[in-house]
Amino acid sequence: MNKLKRRKFLQYSTAIAAGSIVGSIPSIAFGSNFPSRKMQAYIPTRAGGGADRNFRAFSGVWSKHLGIKFEPKFYPGASGRVGYETYMDKASDDCHDLIFGNMGPEVLNWVVKKPTFDLNAYKYFIQVDADPGSIFISTKSKMKTVEDVIAEGKKRTLTVATSRLAHPASLGILVLAQKTGMKINLIPLSGGKNTRNGVLTGETDLGVLPSTTVMKRKGLNVIGLFDEKNVLKKKMPNAILVNTEYKLGLPPLPAGARAFGIKTSAIEKHPERYKKLINSAKKVFTDEAYKKAVVKSKAPLEFISEGYEKECKAYVENITKVGQEYRSLLSG
Amino acid sequence: MENDLEIFFSLINNTLEYWWVIIPATILGIVVGAIPGFSAANTIIVLLPLTLSMGPEAGMIFMVAIYTSSRLGAGIPAVLVNIPGTAGAAATPLDGYPMSKRGEGQKALSISFTSSVLGGLLTTILALILIPWLSQVAYYLHSVEMIVIMLFGISLIATISSQDTLKGLIAGLFGLMIGYIGADVVYEIPRGTFGFLELYDKVPLVPALVGLFAISEAFVVIDRKMVTIQSQEKNIVHSWQQTFNGIKITLIRWKHVIWTSILGLIIGVIPGAGAAIASFVAYQQSKNFSKTPELYGTGHPEGLIAPESSNNGVTSGTLIPLLIIGVPGGATAAIMAVVLEYHGVQFGPDIFETNPMLGYGPFVAMGITYIILGFLIMPLTRYFSNVLLIPTKYIAPLIIVFTLVGSFVPRAYVFDIYVAIVFGIIGYIARKTGYHVAAILIGVILGPMLENFFLRALRISQGDLTTLFSSSLGNTLWILLIISLFVPSLKKYFSKQK
Repeated sequence: MNKLKRRKFLQYSTAIAAGSIVGSIPSIAFGSNFPSRKMQAYIPTRAGGGADRNFRAFSGVWSKHLGIKFEPKFYPGASGRVGYETYMDKASDDCHDLIFGNMGPEVLNWVVKKPTFDLNAYKYFIQVDADPGSIFISTKSKMKTVEDVIAEGKKRTLTVATSRLAHPASLGILVLAQKTGMKINLIPLSGGKNTRNGVLTGETDLGVLPSTTVMKRKGLNVIGLFDEKNVLKKKMPNAILVNTEYKLGLPPLPAGARAFGIKTSAIEKHPERYKKLINSAKKVFTDEAYKKAVVKSKAPLEFISEGYEKECKAYVENITKVGQEYRSLLSG
Repeated sequence: MENDLEIFFSLINNTLEYWWVIIPATILGIVVGAIPGFSAANTIIVLLPLTLSMGPEAGMIFMVAIYTSSRLGAGIPAVLVNIPGTAGAAATPLDGYPMSKRGEGQKALSISFTSSVLGGLLTTILALILIPWLSQVAYYLHSVEMIVIMLFGISLIATISSQDTLKGLIAGLFGLMIGYIGADVVYEIPRGTFGFLELYDKVPLVPALVGLFAISEAFVVIDRKMVTIQSQEKNIVHSWQQTFNGIKITLIRWKHVIWTSILGLIIGVIPGAGAAIASFVAYQQSKNFSKTPELYGTGHPEGLIAPESSNNGVTSGTLIPLLIIGVPGGATAAIMAVVLEYHGVQFGPDIFETNPMLGYGPFVAMGITYIILGFLIMPLTRYFSNVLLIPTKYIAPLIIVFTLVGSFVPRAYVFDIYVAIVFGIIGYIARKTGYHVAAILIGVILGPMLENFFLRALRISQGDLTTLFSSSLGNTLWILLIISLFVPSLKKYFSKQK
């Protein structure tokens, strides 16, 4: 039995207490005037979720290369709208304040309903992962494959649990339904946990979510991926590649594509700082400590996706284009 | 059987080895429970690095002990100063606070603690025995059934407003209206937010809670020219007798403790329900079936036992679907899931065979925590109740400052402090004009949950309203709801006949 020794417990408690005190003292960066204060990351989802885990894994190592700590600030609500609006309204444009979001659902959100700020006023510049959208069913379901799902969907309208309507995974199943003629009814259940529960408890026929949140869950079976390859065949042996199998004509649009964003005015004002951010982030991807942190966060190493401004821009353009094409379906 | 007992005692033995985790976590839980705004969920989040550094068993025991004791701790300010620090304790002041106001704070605390400990212990034992069956509840209760369960809770508005129906219903509807502020769950379109981003994610519950109850109470105290509490000082008698009386009063009502805590256990098993709905439903049903319903709201022990037993019944219930099907029954259980997943724990029925310490262990830890709580907290009733002797000129500003800080804690938005003040003013006006703040609060808490399940049910049925009557279990619940609504009138009718 793995027991924690009393002494170790006291050590950890003391370390945490000491950490809290030290953490409250403003950080000082030596050797450079940037960063001159703690980096702040606005996260438009709740603490403890997938974005939080991804952020901690990356920023923990990034802080080593940047020479300063990162502080997350969580602003959940309205599919990320609260976090982004707050970031655009309150964050400074001195390159110390970043946003860490999931590009897919958040950009689709803007397609469905424009935010109050100019969409060119921020840009994503460091992508950290690419997690394909998945179709999953309960292991108790009579349907076992995507083919079964389509056949059943031609007989009756299937209920499909999703985190939110404007989500790359929702987009995938909508396109599949349109191409194959099956009838579906998307049920937005606000978040991965509720979406999984919807399928597990049998309230909905199937569900769609980024694959990481589903693949290891007892009672759930991933039967399809909206991607062109299954890099985790061992963990999702039953998942077929829906994009190619059904010729959906969709570009690879990971449902989980988390990335850091920054105000464009910050880049314009401080190009050197921006460069420093990118250069230090590049070191994270080659650092073994990052891989260890990802493994510790229980995310698959295979989903690490190193991307910068160019890759992020391509993703945003692709998803905006597909989103606009299916806008009426995404808005219910 | 002999083997089972052997495993059981070995589990107790193993759990007791973690006394150095249980005791500090229990004390911490009482403290965070008693501070409005803090809760087991956000405390566990703050302490996540510590919890993750422990082994899975120690981590689970630590979280369970905090969760259990914070539920009990939340009753302290609810009883003494009319501040339900969490939504789960929102029904506690209905009868707890009137007892404190008439100088029986120590007795009220004793009743609250005894019913919490007994209710919690009983449901923990029941949960251990009934795990295989209770875990299936989540499979049967979908949106339609949840709508009826929510209506059970909301019908408490009618019960509260029995003295002035019109005012009660207005207050309840006002609360429901406030509850609908924010982005809707389907299309995420903001409604009634007045342009405030901070309201997109609904009206924050803790500021609404402390504003309606605590700040408005402080305003009332100030308004009465700071004489309210002093005038009651002569009524306050501090003696161990009061504590023993409280225990005795609760033990006499053992049947009440049993059925309300079982109600909490069942509601706890349902994902998305939780302590708030459990305590409201228990209070409402308790009043319905009471021989003295007219005493509810005046400081009636049964009105205090019902919410406290039921919200402690929720604690064990919420763990069952998590361990067996990986579906957390509530927010704290969801955080526990994150910690256990971090340690690579696989949920499922086989967890009880492959790793009994993680399967049964949390329930054993919960039982042990309740026993420790019983011994730890009972002697403190005498000292806690001294809060009532603090002169009002100190206590009113203290209440305001503490609750404003508490309203800031969950989201760290300064905006939430303003929300608490606005709700304080609303509560003050409501009190001065004879509207019941609890009726408003029920609407604020349960309104969004009802809307959520209602929209989900409609979405699944593609707008067909008859879906509300489409399941046998749902229909049975509808009939029970209607019966429960008519019970008071029927009882009145039959008593007149006699």
